Amino acid sequence: MKAFSIDYYILVTVSAVGVFQLVAMYAGLRGILLLRPSRISALLWAVFPVAAAAWFFGTEDRKLSDHMGGLSSNEIALAFFVGVVTAWALTVAVTSILNHNRDREEADPGVGLESLSRTTYFRAVLHNVRCRYREWRR
Amino acid sequence: MAQVERDIVLWLNSGAGKVAALDRLVEWLVGDYLVTAVLGLSLVAIWFGSAMSEARIDRQMGVLTALGTVGLANLAVTIVNSLYFRDRPFADLDVTLLFYRPTDSSMPSNSAATFVGLAVAVWGFDRRVGAALLAVAGLHAFLRVYAGVHYPSDIAAGAMIGVAAALAAYGLRRLLGPIPAKAIRMARVLCVA
Repeated sequence: MKAFSIDYYILVTVSAVGVFQLVAMYAGLRGILLLRPSRISALLWAVFPVAAAAWFFGTEDRKLSDHMGGLSSNEIALAFFVGVVTAWALTVAVTSILNHNRDREEADPGVGLESLSRTTYFRAVLHNVRCRYREWRR
Repeated sequence: MAQVERDIVLWLNSGAGKVAALDRLVEWLVGDYLVTAVLGLSLVAIWFGSAMSEARIDRQMGVLTALGTVGLANLAVTIVNSLYFRDRPFADLDVTLLFYRPTDSSMPSNSAATFVGLAVAVWGFDRRVGAALLAVAGLHAFLRVYAGVHYPSDIAAGAMIGVAAALAAYGLRRLLGPIPAKAIRMARVLCVA
């Protein structure tokens, strides 16, 4: 894998972590919040994409064609996709651990993204899988 | 007509190479990486930000349509490129190039097709965000001419392909019927939709 690909992957991953947190604050998805929602935390998360871009463009010359060490459009798309998936995996893993003891009383968090407003990701997925399994056994 | 285009490129490009900081900023903005990441992360934000919205399903279907638009626009540009080749402005004109030297055809602009198409597809379900993305795509397209990478007609052709791709993607969505909606419902079990 090209070093350039890894750099772009890092840019996307760090930026996406910030975007996920800002979106979680905006949409009220408390289960995947890393910090309590406030203006300061919003500012902190907004810095993530800006800092990642400053690092990406500030550390090396990125004006390269894919024949000269840069990335083709397929490589950009792949690095972007993997970066977003990594950021999501990191977000849900860390917040599921951090917020594990919160909102335990929620018996039925519901289905889909909106369930993350009531409980953590792992707990929501576990609940969904259990429900599906019970339906399947009937 | 060709002479008018050359004059426009030379006139716009006359500003390049004078202020180092501005050149650097333009290099970032016309490159393949920054705007792609901004538009891609905007789609991610729309997808996840719609969680509590009543129009969640429409917005997430819209994001899938925007992704389909990108695929269709790229396909159309690849087909046109296999049939027609036009040299880049830097091959014929004495310009200050703020980009690497691409070897593919100048006409149509692939980035204009992709970014304008994506912005129009988003505009189809969210006017405000779509307009903001269209502004980003427009700035990127303008700077591509400023940087000496494209002629204005390359951008216009790319933008037209992008709009056509967005319309085709919306048509395809109607044709596919409930399949994308079913995929979203399955994704809801894993709490990602």
